Amino acid sequence: MTTRTTTGRRLAAVVLSVGLIAAACGDDDETASASASGSGTGISADDVAQETDNELIQEAVDGYRAYVQEQIQTMQAETTVFTDAVRAGDIDGAKDHYQISRRPWERIEPIAGLIEDIDGAVDAREDDFEGPEDPNFTGWHRLEYHLWILEDVSDAGPVADQLDADLQVLADTAETLELPPGVLTVGALELIEEVAAPDGKLSGEEERYSGTDLYAFQANVEGSEALVDLLAPALEEADAELLGTINGQFDELYAQLGALGSYEAGFINYNDVTEDQKSEFAATLGELSESLSLLNGVLGLE
Amino acid sequence: MEPHNRRRFLATAGAAALAATAVSCTNGDDQDATPSSGSSRTYPYLGTHQAGVTAPAAAAGIVAGLDVRAENRTELAETLTKLGVSIEQVMSGEAYEDRAGGFPALDTGILGPDIGPAGISVVVGYGNSLFDDRFGLADQKPVELQRMPKFGNDYLVRPERSHGDLSLTVNADSSEAAVHAFRQLLRETRGDLVPRWMREGFNKLIAEDTPGVAPVRNLMGFKDGTANLDAGDEALMNDLVWVAEEDQQPAWAVGGTYQAIRVIRMMVEFWDRTRLNEQEGLFGLRRDTGAPLGQEREEDIPVHDGFESHIARANPRTPGSERNLILRRGFNYVGGLDQNDQLDQGLIFVSYQRSLESGFITVQRRLDGEALEEYIRPLGGGFFFVPPPPADGEPLGASLLA
Repeated sequence: MTTRTTTGRRLAAVVLSVGLIAAACGDDDETASASASGSGTGISADDVAQETDNELIQEAVDGYRAYVQEQIQTMQAETTVFTDAVRAGDIDGAKDHYQISRRPWERIEPIAGLIEDIDGAVDAREDDFEGPEDPNFTGWHRLEYHLWILEDVSDAGPVADQLDADLQVLADTAETLELPPGVLTVGALELIEEVAAPDGKLSGEEERYSGTDLYAFQANVEGSEALVDLLAPALEEADAELLGTINGQFDELYAQLGALGSYEAGFINYNDVTEDQKSEFAATLGELSESLSLLNGVLGLE
Repeated sequence: MEPHNRRRFLATAGAAALAATAVSCTNGDDQDATPSSGSSRTYPYLGTHQAGVTAPAAAAGIVAGLDVRAENRTELAETLTKLGVSIEQVMSGEAYEDRAGGFPALDTGILGPDIGPAGISVVVGYGNSLFDDRFGLADQKPVELQRMPKFGNDYLVRPERSHGDLSLTVNADSSEAAVHAFRQLLRETRGDLVPRWMREGFNKLIAEDTPGVAPVRNLMGFKDGTANLDAGDEALMNDLVWVAEEDQQPAWAVGGTYQAIRVIRMMVEFWDRTRLNEQEGLFGLRRDTGAPLGQEREEDIPVHDGFESHIARANPRTPGSERNLILRRGFNYVGGLDQNDQLDQGLIFVSYQRSLESGFITVQRRLDGEALEEYIRPLGGGFFFVPPPPADGEPLGASLLA
């Protein structure tokens, strides 16, 4: 295990219940070397509500399992395009596909905390290591460093291979993953907390080499909204007013993001986002987080 | 601007099984309950004036400038309403409603489940920018309110550290109580108020709030506030602090006061290396006793002999200068290290005055160029107007927006 620093780390994998997914640990110490937590959300499957009698919530859980599967398939397909470009030495092609490959990951980050070490393997930052050249520093951000800072991927092939392999572990594990209902309610909140975290998107820490934070920001919001949409029938019953409030706050956030670009047309570089715009984001995110923090209780979960 | 969830947070003022707690809280006269040292009390939210202005110097506090996100008058009314409800709850010392464990708790928990009196008073002020064209309030602006200008020694390089649509000044008996109150206020207005800057401060109270005796020392080691106004003297407050009907202010402003906030960094490393004789000369005071130089006791009247020490400039005691006296309610602050690894420490200066021009601005102009400037650097702050509390049953801001 590498030395863990606490800098910039969220609660993340630390609180993880080891028992749940021992199978996912892998016996490859290189993979497991990623004791770093990356940017994952702090959900532990043991710490959230385990059960509900509410059929609408159970349907949402089934729906989320399907959503996660779909996102993982897309993630693997898009990431292969990305890593192929890296292996081929095609820097421009790889840059173009960097955030496209990350989008599904950022949408389903709540489940990252449920799979031991995966977040640290694929989404860690250099702060979790001795520096950007630390051989244990793997995943998207290591490749981001090669692409934008070194502008040289000649020796990045093994990192690309490792990313593909780690995502395969994620895919295999996710098929049998337990999804207690609390993951949905807490996950919707954590995805937004993740954006505003000190080492998250709002600070520009996450995509520091490429300045592409707005892409991951957008994907986090999409992932949270997907959860709220799945829970909407249950929320309609429990507290329709809260659902309306949340949807209005999502709309506001999308409008703020939309003013700065889109996945399709491209977002502006995060370094060009003004302090005023960040302040507006912080306010909207804060308001949305307060609302999302009520989901669990409103739905009668423990 | 959806009030939905906050309203639920706050729906609980009535859940006050704790109302029986022996608080001296009354609506009305805020002078009647002098605290005994060591035991916390509550301050009334309602009354003729905001109680936090004339409350005794507090052991702990948080001072902040915030912007509102409201885009029109209706939204501003909602924001101020929420803020008022939140202030009333934190000042009451009453416990928050319990909710099921599947929800986040309604309060920070810092003060324990019962909360109780913690000496919390919150002063809310309106900034100059609140009266710009967003809310149609230009004709309701207090006549002397303005954006704080740069004074001679100021180093206001980052405007985001200064000003704001609103100021919040939290006074409390402990840092924990101040933090609790401030977090409640921010949480319950989340999305509606955006903090621009904040400073956390403290005072080690060394005396009762006695006229002629400074209750605190500043971080330069000198007694601070020896000649401060006696906040318990109602006639004096009416004369020098509270805006009166004859002041030709907007009607809603009567009973309010102007607030000047200045975050003043002290170059403490440099100061600690400075000869005591020079330090005492700069202030015009003895460091140990607080007595004016050449005098015996702290409460003795200084004799100004031509050298313009800090106290001679601040309060020259010349005919007419008594109109420039201000009520000070500041805090010491410690803000970690600056970029050069020097200690960022100093004073959160807060003053209240009936006239900004006759009060703080005149005093500051006299201080401009003082020799002490070598050791201090104002970094931020702002000018605000502290309105009177709302009438019983009305929301905060009702009279302004009427």
